[in-house]
Amino acid sequence: MKLIELKNVYKIYNEGMESEVRALNGVSLTIDRGEFVAVIGASGSGKSTLMNILGCLDVPTYGEYTLDGHDVSELSSRELSRIRNREVGFIFQGFNLISELTALENVELPLIYQGVGPVKRREMALAALERVGLAQRASHRPMELSGGQQQRVAIARAISTRAPIIMADEPTGALDSKTGVHVLQILHSLHDDGTTVILITHDNKIAATAARIVRISDGEIVQDCPREEAGVL
Amino acid sequence: MNLRQSFKIALKSIWGKKARSILTMLGIIIGVSAVVIMVSIVQGANKMSKEYYERMGTNKITVSAHQWNGADISQELYDYCLSLSDLVMGVTPNASFWSESGIKYNASTTANMDYTPELYLGSDQFAVCNNFTLEKGRDISYLDVKKHEQVIVLGSRVAEYLFPYQNPIGESVTISGYRFRVIGVYAEKDPGSSWSMDNMAVVPYTLNRMLNNNNTIDQFVVKAVSAAATTDAITRITGFLSGRIDESTGYYSVYSENQWMQSDEEYTKTMSLVVGGIAGISLLVGGIGIMNIMLVTVTERTREIGIRMAIGAPRRSIILQFLIEAAVICAIGGLLGLILGSLGTLIAGKLIFDTVLLPNAGMTIGAILFSVVLGIGFGMYPAIKASGLQPVEALRSE
Repeated sequence: MKLIELKNVYKIYNEGMESEVRALNGVSLTIDRGEFVAVIGASGSGKSTLMNILGCLDVPTYGEYTLDGHDVSELSSRELSRIRNREVGFIFQGFNLISELTALENVELPLIYQGVGPVKRREMALAALERVGLAQRASHRPMELSGGQQQRVAIARAISTRAPIIMADEPTGALDSKTGVHVLQILHSLHDDGTTVILITHDNKIAATAARIVRISDGEIVQDCPREEAGVL
Repeated sequence: MNLRQSFKIALKSIWGKKARSILTMLGIIIGVSAVVIMVSIVQGANKMSKEYYERMGTNKITVSAHQWNGADISQELYDYCLSLSDLVMGVTPNASFWSESGIKYNASTTANMDYTPELYLGSDQFAVCNNFTLEKGRDISYLDVKKHEQVIVLGSRVAEYLFPYQNPIGESVTISGYRFRVIGVYAEKDPGSSWSMDNMAVVPYTLNRMLNNNNTIDQFVVKAVSAAATTDAITRITGFLSGRIDESTGYYSVYSENQWMQSDEEYTKTMSLVVGGIAGISLLVGGIGIMNIMLVTVTERTREIGIRMAIGAPRRSIILQFLIEAAVICAIGGLLGLILGSLGTLIAGKLIFDTVLLPNAGMTIGAILFSVVLGIGFGMYPAIKASGLQPVEALRSE
């Protein structure tokens, strides 16, 4: 069942000028509910742009994007923020935590915007922190946590709403390999629970843990196949 | 996302950024309190001078006339002033005389006071004209004047000095060897200053021959019924005198403290503008401080807005959050500024004027409004600017 459908999507910066950059150059992609997809590519290949568009953080210059049956270009800003809030959980490479808030408050934030009451919210946020193994650090601020712990707080925030889609942009990029493995384990366990996971990475080894590999280069998809057929990784 | 939720988010954010919040508040506190204190001080000065003139009596005309050729127009002038009955409430001769020995009572004499009292020759209308009210006894009467009675009414300062422990009414005092019976004491009207209007005494003007070496009475005080009547009476008396006194053989002057009061008011008005301008500049500097803090944090805040949008905050709730943040900071700052300004005003009032000085409501509200509008405007600026961006653009700001 189709969850995400991109048809001939372009993202062009400074179009028509000499400095024109085609971050996405006619990308078509379909992702079904419950898949674990790795989007792999070198830096500057357009993979982050792809994720931003998939997660409604950015809009395509041309092309059609249908999410769960809705044409995204026709949604209002309010509906888009609703999608970001309820449908998608983001895990950024740079964590993007709010430094003035504690780990628990950061995790609670999307729930606040959903309008969940304080008691239930706290319960859900603590459950999410529990899942990433950080319940004891709930009252720490991001600055008081290590990089790996911050990334796990970011994951907790992404999963606290029980969003059906998780998008992770280089989630292990800033971490040492041991912590990276732990983060991947969390993503896999989410997938086992039925969550659709889209993992963006430049690292072949990390991509190799996904069931399906999409390789992107210069804004175009050059390979899209199950892991077994992806050849040497 | 309801309003209460927005409030919680905003308060959490203010608390999280204590240093920034306090700095912003400081700008408002300094600006507001400076305006409040400075304007209040000028108004205090204004009030003091107004009260001084009020004690002295308003609508009071002092008429002086003197001729060197020996001709005496005192009686004529007195009669003329009295004839202006539709304009005046009272007329009194107001000549002062000098006595080497002062006013004596038993062993004490006013000649030993730090400031010797002013001794006046007056009529039964002296008190009305000079804004005195009787505290004890009775005032000089028409009959006292008519019959050249040797009676005296003391100002409160003199009464206190000569009769610290007893009632002066009925006692006898002497001036230059003549005995006077104390018939009354005026109530205190000018406390505090060492050169006090209460340091005086008055006797019937008909004793002029006895006390003043028979000098002519060359000064009168006319109390007009209103400010307009004052102007009118000045014109008429001046006209009367100019027709009778040749400036080569005499002089005359007719003036009213109303004129002094007016020029004094002009002066304080100018002072208010000058000091208000200076206070305004300090408010502006405070405002620029607010602006700076707000703008410096735009980048940092833009990123925060990006994060909030990425996890699903709608535009409206972000703007609301920033609005509430700015409003709360400004309200607290304005309130603290008001408290500090009021305290400063009270202290300044006590130290400078020795009175209870209260802040000016209009200026205070104006100053608070100005800084609140500025604070809210620049507080919301990043929210309005950034929330219109795509989340990814806001996130990219470093």
